[in-house]
Amino acid sequence: MSFQVIMGQLAGGLVKSIEIFALTLIFSLPLGLLVSFGRMGKNRVIRSLVWFYISVMRGTPLMLQLLAVYFGPYYIWGMKLGRAWRFMAIIIAFSVNYAAYFAEIYRSGIESMPPGQYEAARILGYSKTSTFFRIIFPQVVKRILPSVTNEVITLVKDTSLAFSLAYAEMFTIAKQIAAKETSFMPFLAAALFYYVFNAIVAFLMERIESALNYYT
Amino acid sequence: MKKILAGVLCTAMVISSLGMISFADETEAAAGGLATEGKFVVGFDAEYPPYGYMDDDGNYTGFDLELAAAVCELEGWELVATPIDWDSKDMELDSGNIDCIWNGFTVNGREDDYTFSVPYVDNSQVIVTSEDAGISTLDDLEGKIVGVQADSAALALLDEGGDQEELGASFAELQQFADYNTAFAELQAGSLDAVAIDVGVANYQIAGREGYIILDEYLNSEQYAVGFKKGNNELCDIINADLMVLLTSGVFDEIAEKYAELGIEPDMLCLADSFSLTPETEAE
Repeated sequence: MSFQVIMGQLAGGLVKSIEIFALTLIFSLPLGLLVSFGRMGKNRVIRSLVWFYISVMRGTPLMLQLLAVYFGPYYIWGMKLGRAWRFMAIIIAFSVNYAAYFAEIYRSGIESMPPGQYEAARILGYSKTSTFFRIIFPQVVKRILPSVTNEVITLVKDTSLAFSLAYAEMFTIAKQIAAKETSFMPFLAAALFYYVFNAIVAFLMERIESALNYYT
Repeated sequence: MKKILAGVLCTAMVISSLGMISFADETEAAAGGLATEGKFVVGFDAEYPPYGYMDDDGNYTGFDLELAAAVCELEGWELVATPIDWDSKDMELDSGNIDCIWNGFTVNGREDDYTFSVPYVDNSQVIVTSEDAGISTLDDLEGKIVGVQADSAALALLDEGGDQEELGASFAELQQFADYNTAFAELQAGSLDAVAIDVGVANYQIAGREGYIILDEYLNSEQYAVGFKKGNNELCDIINADLMVLLTSGVFDEIAEKYAELGIEPDMLCLADSFSLTPETEAE
């Protein structure tokens, strides 16, 4: 296999990894915020349900969750799985899992805000909604960005778990090339791809951080 | 305002995920025993050369996949080669995500779990070791560390209840690994003394490396066939009939010839024997 073909194959795999990465972020970031509201809410039933959801998501391997989401409909309801379901199941499992982690990050940010800000906002006549979205949330975002960056970078590497559902993302491709070539070199190439991609992600997150750093 | 937006987004996601589930169409198996009409979805381990792997151009190929492609040509089906995680093969097959496992799939010991086509390759499980390890017979393996691929036929053979259980028990350790690259690296590094492996795969692996030998003594003789979901006789009959056509038209031997130097030796082919041994099943 020529060097160009190996690089081409890995690049193709990287595109598939990025698809998982991007869609997971798009769904899990807002979902995580909603979950964090449930986690901090006044309703005890919702609060304990959300607590249980987070503890399951964090307490079981993502690989198992992928298998459960994908094969669940067949084994539980006897449904026939369409071909499109494979990718959807991956996105659902990843989003629901990462939402749990993001929820806790949001919570840490929201609970770190001093109560004086809420009191001041109430005196100034802000409604609860606009207090949150205009005053609290922008500050929360600034505070939690480093933790979010951690999760986002982990997500890039976690995309390799999609192979348990036979989805040929980059690491899978690297393993297949390695098997064909009876060599470990493709893994080095894959590591380089991951590293460069994560370097770009980290760079962008740093840029966002400094863009939000408008008070200092 | 934004809270509402977030709420709407999340509700939309929940609804759409519910929708996706019902989306997963509940149609019964299409004609010919295929899950999707006109599409022959073959599940295989893409890290299993020469039976199924990625070729120089980055396409999936291999002895078994070329046979599957030839069958598809006969039937006018589209071949969908789906690399699977070997550990999930039963779930993939049960749920109808793949129509068959066609990938150097050992029949022996799995007869009750799958519906099998006629066997087409005589396989043996062999021991690979490095030239200078001083191991030349199976008896020399006593007290050694031997590697086997997880969920493989070699593991079933050497583990408790297998035909070579006693031999397996004489090892210091029977260590499971995920892929052959890792196993051979361990062999080289000395953390493994030998690897139990399918002969065709062993030939391929050794051709790409220096300093390994295959012991003359075999662990067993067994056969490869195409595995279908238990009870899917309809599809199995079609594939059997097509294999017969591929044999008589010479296509089977043509494909086999291409893979001779990649590890599938001519005396391993047993499709002709399968048909002459069981002519009555063909007549039905």
